[in-house]
Amino acid sequence: MKLFLSRLVLGLWVGLLASCSTPASDTPPSTVRIRWDRDPENLDPLVVSNKSAYEVSTLTYCSLLSGSEADADFVPWLAEDFPTVERTADSLLLVSYRLRPEARWDNGTPILARDVAFTLKVMNCPGLPIEMDQAMFGFIQDIRLDSTDARRFTLVCSGPSPDHIRESGDFSIFPEYVLDPRGELRTVQLADLRRMPAPAAATAFAGRYQALELAKHPERLPGCGPYKVTTWQNGRYLTMARKPHWWADTLPAPPPALQAFPDQLIYQIIPDAATATLALRRGEIDLYALMPAAEFTRLQQSAADREKLRFYTTNSYEFLAASFDVRQPVLRDARTRRALSALFNIPALIAGTQQGNATPSVGLISPRLKAYYNDSLSIPAFSPAAAADLLRQAGWQRQPDGTWQRPAAAGGPPQKLQLGLSYRAGEAAFETAALQFQAAARALGIGVDLRPTEQSVLSGQLHKGETDLSIRTFTGNPFSFDFTPLLHTRGIGAGNTTGFSEPASDQLIEQIAAANEPARKALLLRRFQRLLYQERPFTVLYFLRYRVAAAQRLGTVPVTGLKPGYEAAHIRPLAPKS
Amino acid sequence: MAGRHLVGPGAAGSPIGAPEISPPDLTSINQPPFGPSHWLGTDSQGLDVGVALLLGARTLVLVSVPATLVALLLGAAMGSAAGFLGNSGGRLPRRAAVAGGLALLGFAALAPYWTLAAAALVPATAVWWLLGRTRWGRQAWGFPIDAAVLGLATLLESVPLLILVLVAVAVQRPSLGGLVALLGLSCWTGPARLVRAATLQTVAQPYLEAARAAGIPGWQLLRRHIWPNTRHVLLVRLPLTVALLVGLETTLSFLGVGLPPDVGSWGRLLAAVRLAPTDWWLVAWPGTALVGTILSLQNIINRRIH
Amino acid sequence: MVRAVLRRTLRLLLAAWLTLSALFLVSRASTDPTAFLQATFSNNTRLGGQTEQAALTQRLLGRYRLDRPLFYASWGTATGWRWHGFHNQYHQWATGLLRGELGRSYRQDETVTELLTRALRYTLPLTLLAAVGSGALAFWLALGFSYRPRLRRLGLALLHGVQSLPLFLVAVGLLLLLANPDTLAWFPAFGLGLDSDAGAWWQYPGRTLYYLALPTVSLVIVSLPVLVVQLDGAIQRELAQPYVATARAKGASRRRTVRHHVLRNALLPVLALLPELLPGLVAGSVVVEFLFALPGMGRLLAEAAATQDYPVLLGAVGLVALVRLAAQALTDVLYQFIDPRIRLL
Repeated sequence: MKLFLSRLVLGLWVGLLASCSTPASDTPPSTVRIRWDRDPENLDPLVVSNKSAYEVSTLTYCSLLSGSEADADFVPWLAEDFPTVERTADSLLLVSYRLRPEARWDNGTPILARDVAFTLKVMNCPGLPIEMDQAMFGFIQDIRLDSTDARRFTLVCSGPSPDHIRESGDFSIFPEYVLDPRGELRTVQLADLRRMPAPAAATAFAGRYQALELAKHPERLPGCGPYKVTTWQNGRYLTMARKPHWWADTLPAPPPALQAFPDQLIYQIIPDAATATLALRRGEIDLYALMPAAEFTRLQQSAADREKLRFYTTNSYEFLAASFDVRQPVLRDARTRRALSALFNIPALIAGTQQGNATPSVGLISPRLKAYYNDSLSIPAFSPAAAADLLRQAGWQRQPDGTWQRPAAAGGPPQKLQLGLSYRAGEAAFETAALQFQAAARALGIGVDLRPTEQSVLSGQLHKGETDLSIRTFTGNPFSFDFTPLLHTRGIGAGNTTGFSEPASDQLIEQIAAANEPARKALLLRRFQRLLYQERPFTVLYFLRYRVAAAQRLGTVPVTGLKPGYEAAHIRPLAPKS
Repeated sequence: MAGRHLVGPGAAGSPIGAPEISPPDLTSINQPPFGPSHWLGTDSQGLDVGVALLLGARTLVLVSVPATLVALLLGAAMGSAAGFLGNSGGRLPRRAAVAGGLALLGFAALAPYWTLAAAALVPATAVWWLLGRTRWGRQAWGFPIDAAVLGLATLLESVPLLILVLVAVAVQRPSLGGLVALLGLSCWTGPARLVRAATLQTVAQPYLEAARAAGIPGWQLLRRHIWPNTRHVLLVRLPLTVALLVGLETTLSFLGVGLPPDVGSWGRLLAAVRLAPTDWWLVAWPGTALVGTILSLQNIINRRIH
Repeated sequence: MVRAVLRRTLRLLLAAWLTLSALFLVSRASTDPTAFLQATFSNNTRLGGQTEQAALTQRLLGRYRLDRPLFYASWGTATGWRWHGFHNQYHQWATGLLRGELGRSYRQDETVTELLTRALRYTLPLTLLAAVGSGALAFWLALGFSYRPRLRRLGLALLHGVQSLPLFLVAVGLLLLLANPDTLAWFPAFGLGLDSDAGAWWQYPGRTLYYLALPTVSLVIVSLPVLVVQLDGAIQRELAQPYVATARAKGASRRRTVRHHVLRNALLPVLALLPELLPGLVAGSVVVEFLFALPGMGRLLAEAAATQDYPVLLGAVGLVALVRLAAQALTDVLYQFIDPRIRLL
């Protein structure tokens, strides 16, 4: 027995040593290993619910247009050119596209207008998880195929917003030959799918679609993008391989949207930041995006790490803001909001939490967008004295005990200046800002109650208007300037969590959304920034900079100010030195 | 055992002269200790480690220790009841059970109409009186205390402690008092099981049978003969439970759902080291305080036992 | 005997049913059913108007069947009691459970059974290794302490010190010491490696051990003190009993007395720990799994709790509860086996 045990132990050790001897760094040169902080969870292309899943989706599927940060606009992707637009008398928008003639599915058949029509039908097919798509693309009412050109089609969109033109090209196109080889949905009209009861063909199709279990088996639906999912070990890693014969390789001069270099992408799911840093430094992963500021600076300062890694920072369109709920009686007055804004020490917060790596801004337009940024406004300064002044102007009176009170309008008990400050629990930068504000406010006699809250609970409270002041991030993009969800009266109860509602700003938001020429847009946006600066439904603390650290062997990594912070398909790993 | 001396006055003094949390000093983050303004250094948010330590000691005294006491006392009561009374020890007269059930049902059904609900007491009393006339009604049902306690414990323990707290925090952030109650009410099961096991073992001893045969009432048996034998189990458990609760609190801080940042905690300091692995002072001071506290508790308990 | 076992099993099932029902009702009644949808909305800036979002919320609630009433009856201050019939969430869940279905995850569109099986594949090797390791080590240490009293004081003090360290600190410490290019890079920092590099089948156990070394050691370190302290306490108490003096008087060595006479009695109080430890095997460890990037039960539970994914939460908690009930039954049987004077059945 003892002999057996010792042999067993010996055997295990031998096995252990044998397996340890497999070096971790013998990955082929054209492989890129990237850290993800969470699993994609669900890879059904109709349900893209987090940013990992979104990344997979953009690498496996193409849509008609794609957002390009360099152009600050959408650019043609699967479409041959930007669509032509026609407005009809009954305020419909007719958006006409033509698909690239080279575009082919994996089996060699061309991608035709029929596939787009099929995709729209899938997105409206009852019995499938289409709720999100319906909410986002419900404005596409119909598709008209061109009888002379199989690649040409027109989307019939409701509503006059110019953003609808771009959004109409922003959904992944699915192959009909895989999902509906016999073309059973071709006879069904898009309008029929929105009516109850659903056509029998649609019900049968929904059954077939569900049977594919795409949520777990994305490889069963090959798209027209450059990559396909090869393995997915849920919660551990996901690998994608470049297709050896991708249709865009035949283009003489493919535009950036149709270039893809690495042969293999390995996404390693590492939830903890400290572990991910270790893995990067050990060469177990090649790329770590959106790194915490302190870690990033520490690695930058270490000579050993500078030898192995390259560091990138880029301005993003995401900003940290203190957002007021203007419906709260205490915060109803713009001067009170401006006073409280003056209690955030923005330069110190940028130095302390971002290691100086962030950009202050006067409002919700990034200073990076020079044409639209209102540079005649000054960045709010940290000044408790100015805050006290503004509070007095707003009718607050300092009490002998140091607190602030204001007589109520309708003869009720006087209002006391006291606030709750909510933020997502576990975010160090939010917490530091909250602590700094609390300390500054307390020095002035304003009681601030810190309320770190779970993400889902906080979102619920924001929607219901149960917070006073909250610290959170807002994400923008360089393509769209439609602030309806964020600040319009119509957005209250949905995206407009500040409850801000002013006829003047509503009108400006609508004008901005409808503006086409850049000069007019710039003028309106500058006016809008000034209005928000006065009204201050939220105060921008700083625009974040995305930090990316990558192994030297990846060469120059193309970084972007949009999440995930890098363009995986455009990384060109250096050839290994022999 | 320098830690013992270090922590003793800190833990005892802090609740009285509780310092306000100092404003974050954003100009000096990650400062090493023994500097001019921050003796024990600062963390990555510019908070003074010394002040945070004192505030953490205060939280320990105000949260972890009371929660431990609640858990142990509740555990002792439940465990002794379960072990001593077993499944047949508790007695519930049948007529009381039936009448009580009727009254409850009546209340529940008629709750919106208070006068009618109060009227439900009349038939319940009548049933109680009527059943008192019958033999069946005068007998008692054995109430399975042991099974009930074990069932309750199982219900609570089936949710891992951390998950229980995570869910509770996800729904509503509790106040300090709420936290004490939450932790106390969710941690009593371990001590209860230990006390129950020890009680079972003691009850099976011959001297207890002798005592029982001598007609000593149950309460006296429990107090004079069983508790002296089961007490040590709890005492051994005390530092463990404090450690468990402190560990739980630090783990919550690690997962980002801990106490609000203006309530001090050693756990947050310890958790901060993850993002600043070179800052040894973030582990050294709170670590010493934590280990010192637990060891001191251990030492006190050892003296009490021997 | 058969009747006793039958009665016990029935009681076990009833307890399991009551436990799960209580969890189901409490978890759903105390939370906002739309909470788990909120994160989706906050990620999406395109959902403009309130009416759009309200309609979307209703449709999504309908998809997950959360638009139904919770229980057969409900009570409101204004309405009084209302009967909802069988068209309710509890009925649907309970009938599903009778058919062996635990429902589908809200987040992942997979059945809870699949998710649990997958998570257990990562958790069980880790926790079993840790349990065996810490159990064996605890026995060895406690026995060793009983022969060498001087070593015992030192060892116990050390163990109490270790015990006050939270798990995450131990795990981070190990990670920074043994998987760090600045110190010693002996072990991998995360995960289980890629399956494509796995090599031959006979390398598999060694490889897994290599990757699980740090997580296992951190679990062993934190679970050791409880075991040793309890076992040691029990042994010390038994050593004071008269029968030990008898055994020693008849010439048995200290070692033999402990092994043959004391240990059996000392095991009894330690057995009480079993129902606490066994469920831990399936519940996993949030901290270790989070830190070492292992997608096990702990992370599944914590993520389900944070995102309010009820079916997963209830399924996983139900599994833990079942294991605990089974462990409880097992412990009671073992009590009798070790000390036949105890009567429970």
